[in-house]
Amino acid sequence: MSALITETPVEPAPETSSPATAVQRVPLEPPELEAIYEEHSRPIFYLALRMLGDPTQAEDATHDVFLKAYRKLGEFKGNSSIRTWLYRITINHCQNLLQTWHRRNIHGTDDETFWERAVGPGDSPLRVLETKELGQRIQKSLDALPEEYRLLLLLVADEKLSYDEVGALTNQSSDAVRGKLHRARKTFAAAFHQTA
Amino acid sequence: MSQPTSRLNQRQREEVTSQQQGAQNTAALEFAAAEEMLRHDAGQIPVPPAVAERLQKSVASEPAPPKSWWQRLLKG
Repeated sequence: MSALITETPVEPAPETSSPATAVQRVPLEPPELEAIYEEHSRPIFYLALRMLGDPTQAEDATHDVFLKAYRKLGEFKGNSSIRTWLYRITINHCQNLLQTWHRRNIHGTDDETFWERAVGPGDSPLRVLETKELGQRIQKSLDALPEEYRLLLLLVADEKLSYDEVGALTNQSSDAVRGKLHRARKTFAAAFHQTA
Repeated sequence: MSQPTSRLNQRQREEVTSQQQGAQNTAALEFAAAEEMLRHDAGQIPVPPAVAERLQKSVASEPAPPKSWWQRLLKG
């Protein structure tokens, strides 16, 4: 499988959900945490995965983020959306991890079993390979970007976030987000083509 | 005489379906922008169930968190 990025106007993509990729439901207590987890765990895990570049560390980070959220539910004042609040916790958590000596000296593991789990049991080995291969190319391309561009693209990819919210999460105005996004797209496209 | 024709048609249909599936498997994915590719990628990656299981255990061993402003408001 090959993947291309063409510079055409972006149409909002419909959210797709197939049985193979649906979030497996595990009941959590209290009920509000369960609802929050069910709605937001997927984008949080994806952000952690692409920021850290390692499935095992992304699993740990997602667990830690929701545990922090549980502990701080009482402090959440509703000034932002829950998702923005969770993203802020995730970004801080992952940035802290990336800055630690431990993280800098531990190479990420390419967890084979993770990629096998990432596609459904009915999917062919070819599909497992395609998903893994595209994921690896995306990770390499993101790793080649300045951190600011990487985070910007990952946040803008979530259609539930407005440019204002992306700006708030990255400490800049929505106009600055728009301006930098153009450069981030170009840099990513160039890096992605180099991974072919 | 209709049975061989029917079998042939069945085989042709299977071949066409197989070719279509093959074409879908090898087709290039095209994305208008980087974030669209990331959106597609995110859609392929579910959260491992082990995370929720671990979280459930961790939360069970935590003291109850303070009620949030909206819970206090709703319960007076």
